[in-house]
Formats: sequence, C-alpha cells, structure tokens
Amino acid sequence: MSDRGCAPGVELLMEYLEGELSAELRSAIADHVAGCARCTAFLESYRATPEILRRATARSLPADLAAELMQAVRGRFGGGAGP
Amino acid sequence: MEALAEPISDEALVSRAAAGEEAAFEDLVRRHQERVYRLACRLTGDEADAADVLQETFLQVFRHLGEFRGEARFTTWLFRVVTNAALMRRRARARRPADSLDAFMPRFDAEGRLAPTPAQLQVTSQIEEVLDRKTLAERASAGIARLPDAYRDAFVLRDLEELPTAEVASVLGIAPAAVRQRVHRARLMLRGYLNELAEDKA
Repeated sequence: MSDRGCAPGVELLMEYLEGELSAELRSAIADHVAGCARCTAFLESYRATPEILRRATARSLPADLAAELMQAVRGRFGGGAGP
Repeated sequence: MEALAEPISDEALVSRAAAGEEAAFEDLVRRHQERVYRLACRLTGDEADAADVLQETFLQVFRHLGEFRGEARFTTWLFRVVTNAALMRRRARARRPADSLDAFMPRFDAEGRLAPTPAQLQVTSQIEEVLDRKTLAERASAGIARLPDAYRDAFVLRDLEELPTAEVASVLGIAPAAVRQRVHRARLMLRGYLNELAEDKA
C-alpha cells in the first residue's frame, strides 16, 4: 500500500471503516495510515464530517407544524377519503 | 405482578389504521412526525419544503395503508415515501443545477500522496470552533444541497439519520455496495467543502 501512496487507501476508506475488506487489505491500510501523518489527519476529518453535519442539520418539528399536520390528518379522516 | 405492556409495533398500528381505526393512524403520525420532518429538512435543505414534504408523506402513507404488506419494516417504507416526496419537491423548485462539489474531492501528488499537509487536512475537524452555529447550519444545508441527488439521499439516510447500510439499501432499492460507494463519495466531497469553509475563516 505504502509504495502507491495514500490514494488506494482513501478510495477504500468506507469499506475499511465498515469492516468490508479482506484482512490483508485491512492491515495494509492500517499500516499505511499509522505511518502517514497526512492519512491520519485525513481519516480524522473523514470521520468528523458526518458528525459535524449531523449536528449542524438537526432540526425539531415546530409545534405549529405538528398541530397543522394533525389537523390535516383529522380532516382527511373526516372527509371519508380512507384507504 | 402485572407484566409491563409491550409497546404496540408500527406494523400493528398500520393494520389497525388500515382497518379504519383513526386513533391508530394518529399514533403513527405522532410517533414518526419528528423524524420525518428532520429527514425532510436534511433532504430538501429548506424548512418550508420540509413542511410540505411532512404533510405529503403522511397523506401518501394514509392513502396507501392498505398496500403495506409487512414484508419490510414500516420505517423502511416510510423513509422511502419521504425520500421520494423530497425528490419531487426539489424538482418542482426547478432551481438551476447545483454547482458540483467535484472540486472538493481529495487531491494527490504524482506519487499518490495526499497533496495537502496534515495541518491543512486537520482544519475540517475544527470548523465548529471557527464558524458560528447559524452560519455553519446554513453552509451545511447548502453543501448537502449541492450533492448529486443519488449521493445526497444515501448520505442523509446513512450518515445523518444513521440508518444501517442494509436499511438504506432497502429504502433506496440499491445494493449495499452501491450505498457505500455513494456515501463515500458524498463524504469526500463534503469533507473538502467543510475544509475550504474552515480555511477561508481561519
């Protein structure tokens, strides 16, 4: 792995993290990352990306929307347009 | 001693609702409305669109209650309806095509080594320290909106809603390997996008 640089490991990062790779490939990537400051930093930021975006996009349902929805649901039932 | 009542399953509520029990459908709505809205916000990047998707989703679920056969989990079916409604909503907006995020894919030198230095690569992880919450929330939604539709759906379900890869595959009707490939590409693009935002600010 190391003789071909960081690119092959970066390409397989998700499979690597999800345990989808052969033991051989997995340890080749782990060995490369352990000795490569760039890959160590890249892996950290690759892992952080979903977490950062999850926090940044968390929204709660506003109470007025919930009330509107329930009103619509009841209206639909009342209208007899059932399944 | 009285045994604790088992919470009624989604699937049982669907059967009751399909049989005309109004309270059962209301229970389903109350149980899932928060998650549906959050997912809709993440898929559309717009709270007004998400409100429409929320209503549309439960209307579709109500209309098709009788077609739910219980082969899949109710939530798998529900998330599929949300994902489709969000896609329709995005298309209805007919916005100009989003600027591609391809430029944010990682760059390598001639030896296949990552081009940026470790310090440059680390900046992404510090974005919450350099951008205020409101700005980051806006930029996050804008970035996710720039993903190709197929990548966005897979990324939002897998990484933001944290569904297992196999369930995302069921929701989207694609193979787990395809989910991993799309999520991986989305992560690479968004990692680079966040990195540039953080560097601009730092």
